[in-house]
Amino acid sequence: MAPPILAQKDKKLFADLLSQYENRQLSKGRKTADQILKKYPEHGETMCMKGLILVHLGQRDEGINLVKEGMRKDLSSHICWHVWALIQKSEHKYEDALKSYIQALKFDKDNFNILRDTAVLQTQTRQFEGLVETRHNLLRLRPYNRHHWVGLAVAYQLNGNLAEAKQVLEHIEGFLRNIGSSNVEFSELLMYHVRILEDMGDFQSAVDMLESHDRAKGGSVLDRMASTEMKARLLAKLKESDADDEKKTAWTERADAAWRWLLSQNADGYEYYKGFLANQGIDLANVTDENREKALEMLRDYSNVQFATAPRRLALHVATGQEFQDLIKPYLTNGLTKGIPSLFADLKPLYKDSVKRQIIEDIVEELRATFATSTGDSVEPTTYLWALYLLAQHHSYLGRHKQALEILDIAIVHTPTLPELYMTRARALKRAGDPHGAARAMNDARLLDGQDRFINTKTGKYLLRAGMVNEADTIFSKFTRGGAPAGADLEEMQAMHYLVEQGDSYRRAGKLNLALKKYYVIQKVFESFREDQYEFHQYSVRKTILNVYTEMLKWEDNVRSHPGFIHAAVATVQIWVALYDDATLGPSLQPPETTASDVSSKKAINKAKKAARKGQPEVDGANSKKATAIQPEDRGLEPPRPRDDDPEGLKLVLAEDPLERADKYLTGLSELVPQNMDICFAIYDVAIRRKKYLQAVRMLTRAHSLDSEHPGLHSRIAHLRNTVSLLPEPIPAPVGPILAESIASLLPAEVSLELFNSQYLQKHFSSPMAIVAHAKVAQILKAPQDEVDSILFTVLKEPVQLDHEAAFAVLSYLKEMKSPRAEEFRIACNDRFELSTLFRSDEEIDALQKSFTESGESPADGEALETVI
Amino acid sequence: MNIRAVRVEDLAGMQDCNLHNLPENYTMKYYLYHALSWPSLSYVAEDHNGRIVGYILAKMEEVDEQEGQSAINHVPHGHVTSISVMRSYRRLGLAKKLMLQSQEAMSSIYRAAFVSLHVRKSNRAALSLYRDTLGFTVKNIEEKYYADGEDAYAMQLTFEH
Repeated sequence: MAPPILAQKDKKLFADLLSQYENRQLSKGRKTADQILKKYPEHGETMCMKGLILVHLGQRDEGINLVKEGMRKDLSSHICWHVWALIQKSEHKYEDALKSYIQALKFDKDNFNILRDTAVLQTQTRQFEGLVETRHNLLRLRPYNRHHWVGLAVAYQLNGNLAEAKQVLEHIEGFLRNIGSSNVEFSELLMYHVRILEDMGDFQSAVDMLESHDRAKGGSVLDRMASTEMKARLLAKLKESDADDEKKTAWTERADAAWRWLLSQNADGYEYYKGFLANQGIDLANVTDENREKALEMLRDYSNVQFATAPRRLALHVATGQEFQDLIKPYLTNGLTKGIPSLFADLKPLYKDSVKRQIIEDIVEELRATFATSTGDSVEPTTYLWALYLLAQHHSYLGRHKQALEILDIAIVHTPTLPELYMTRARALKRAGDPHGAARAMNDARLLDGQDRFINTKTGKYLLRAGMVNEADTIFSKFTRGGAPAGADLEEMQAMHYLVEQGDSYRRAGKLNLALKKYYVIQKVFESFREDQYEFHQYSVRKTILNVYTEMLKWEDNVRSHPGFIHAAVATVQIWVALYDDATLGPSLQPPETTASDVSSKKAINKAKKAARKGQPEVDGANSKKATAIQPEDRGLEPPRPRDDDPEGLKLVLAEDPLERADKYLTGLSELVPQNMDICFAIYDVAIRRKKYLQAVRMLTRAHSLDSEHPGLHSRIAHLRNTVSLLPEPIPAPVGPILAESIASLLPAEVSLELFNSQYLQKHFSSPMAIVAHAKVAQILKAPQDEVDSILFTVLKEPVQLDHEAAFAVLSYLKEMKSPRAEEFRIACNDRFELSTLFRSDEEIDALQKSFTESGESPADGEALETVI
Repeated sequence: MNIRAVRVEDLAGMQDCNLHNLPENYTMKYYLYHALSWPSLSYVAEDHNGRIVGYILAKMEEVDEQEGQSAINHVPHGHVTSISVMRSYRRLGLAKKLMLQSQEAMSSIYRAAFVSLHVRKSNRAALSLYRDTLGFTVKNIEEKYYADGEDAYAMQLTFEH
């Protein structure tokens, strides 16, 4: 049925409706819509417009229903499709919204606004072929607007049509020629052009272009740092691409001048030294005996630049033997005299060379002895102190925990007010396996400088490591908005360090529900990072700042390779797998009330609801305030943030599809971080349980190519073969034979699992984690518990190199299996790792945590001592 | 420590550094806004592992006739949105190095007449860096500038062109 046709004066009314919506006169618009609908109740476009207005007015469900109804009445209206697209866009369903825009364009192909939004969505969803077409159409409609030319060039570039992009840019530059030499947009456009030439491999033209626009010669490229960096890099590429000696010499000279200019502007730019030396044929990462002296000489030229530390530090990396001895001594003395707290962190990379490490230790010990005995004015007492501080970090890093702590005791007696000493003590204790003492030490540091957020953050983190979630929250809240609880503010501010530690802390405490909640917040943070790019598609093209914009698009595509996301993904998967493997685990996490009587369960739900509301008031308040400021009735198109009716994740852990949820968190990671062992294992663990055998074996094959001896791989190969062999029926072709072949390439069919397992142990007899893997395979092979236990107990014997972390992993595994010997193992470790508190009894750990709470806060808390920048 | 202009992939590290050091925090979009609008004004300091241990996040206050700003704001000038260095990397002069790089870019690329910033009244160390080392002067006091009610010194440094 064709939609009703409006009479002339009603057409005018409909035009009013459109402009009223445009001007956000929502109530007026609604009245106008009603007026039209009274006469034409079947008019689809009016229904859609009214629906849209209702959504703005906060009647979301009603509005959306009306839009859908209106669509059904008139599927050939671009207005209906446009309205629907706006709703989908507001729900961040970009792919769907794009489809609707494309439909709308079918009925109104030259609609400028629709085309513009389409271009944005095509960029957001990376549909670059369509983007090129849309940009062409926009340009056809507005050929005199420069931004549409720029938009077309960008579309070409993103779609890989570099030659076309270049052509468009040349055209734009043609009509911008007279814009003047101090225009930032023009300058950025030129830089973008150079980048495209570089990507085309036309390095010569790129360099020529930079030189012809050189600012020093009155050219239009304003950013001399960026353009000189670009030029130096391009010259290096030219040198690689051509063998002509004469040309090479000329390029080397020009590049040399470029690097020298950059160093004159920033003598602490490591990459500049790298390029400067590489230009002379010296690879800074692999200096040889032949070019060492030349490298040092080049660095020496810059070592006297005031305040620059990079050349002196790089020389330490390059120098060896006596030369190193001569350079390191003044470097150390200078650092200690000035009391530079990062001196150790600065030197640590040199420890890869054990000779250098020993030299540093000897010199600092010597200095310490001199400082300790010297009296009077010759040495500042603080220099002695910083020497102790450096030595403590040195020993702690090398695992000499006792020595480190003893030195720190001396230092603290010497100067009890320096927070750094307590911070280092905290780190040393943490490394020694005493998270509780570490948290207390960090808090001691905090009490000396309550105004420093850095120590505050560290204290919070250390408390989370020690399992004290509430105490951590109290500490964090001293620097978050609106006081307690800190979590809401830190979540809103996307504080990854906090979210990861909080999730891990819950997980260690067995509160898998709360841990999952945190890990899902991390997922949300990354979703919002993905959203963030949306408005820049339009903005950056208008501003003509394009190199950084295209970098941003690449970053967005890879953003989930961030270690924080990977960590959360792996942890989430492990929890889901645990919930799947043990169906009693989810129910066991429920608080006792909910399973008891109805009355108390209601109470719990109410309490949970209240807590959920409490968590959000600030956010909701902020939103509504913003809305009121602009236009009281307009609530915008975005759906309100749904209220969390499961703030503690108690329903979440009862989900019936744990494996599917795990799989969802992993989406795309296999391609994004193909080299990551943990991701391979996570994908395997889910795939094998979902009976996706080929995916499972592919992940193990990949892991095998990365590290064939990894303990996690050993147990999984056995697990895979065992699982497949136990299938009641063989898997039919083509999957079955491919799978068999792939498994055989990991573990030849003729080798029994018993043999595979014993060979692995023989090969890695001193590695505790290999012994754990061996035990896991024994368990798969149905070895009795006492046999598995005795395998694990061998980690306590010679020649196994057991540290407290591995020991803790063994203990956790024993507990997980509910082994009767877990307690025996714990006691053995408790005796063995005397500094560690990880192996204390539950009661002792409770007492340790309580003692922190009871120690309270000293009166110095909150008072600033001295903050130093 | 390595000093260099910011790249998009640094922004998460910058945000992390800011959250460790300062009570004034921002979501990623705000960092993106700075990097994508004034890519040459923000700098980072990174340690040998590539971790961001200090940063300056800066922007230009450009002439905007629609917003009826006060006369002083009609002159294009730079503004430091945020600058901080992790406590364990202090006394290396990183804040100063970062500031100087950003100032140079403000002045040479954007022809900024001056650079402005806010500092907590109680932050004596930062105040001394801006005033004594870098030559800023206090223009006025903005009462209750910070969320916790603390006053700010509004400081400026004029560039010589």
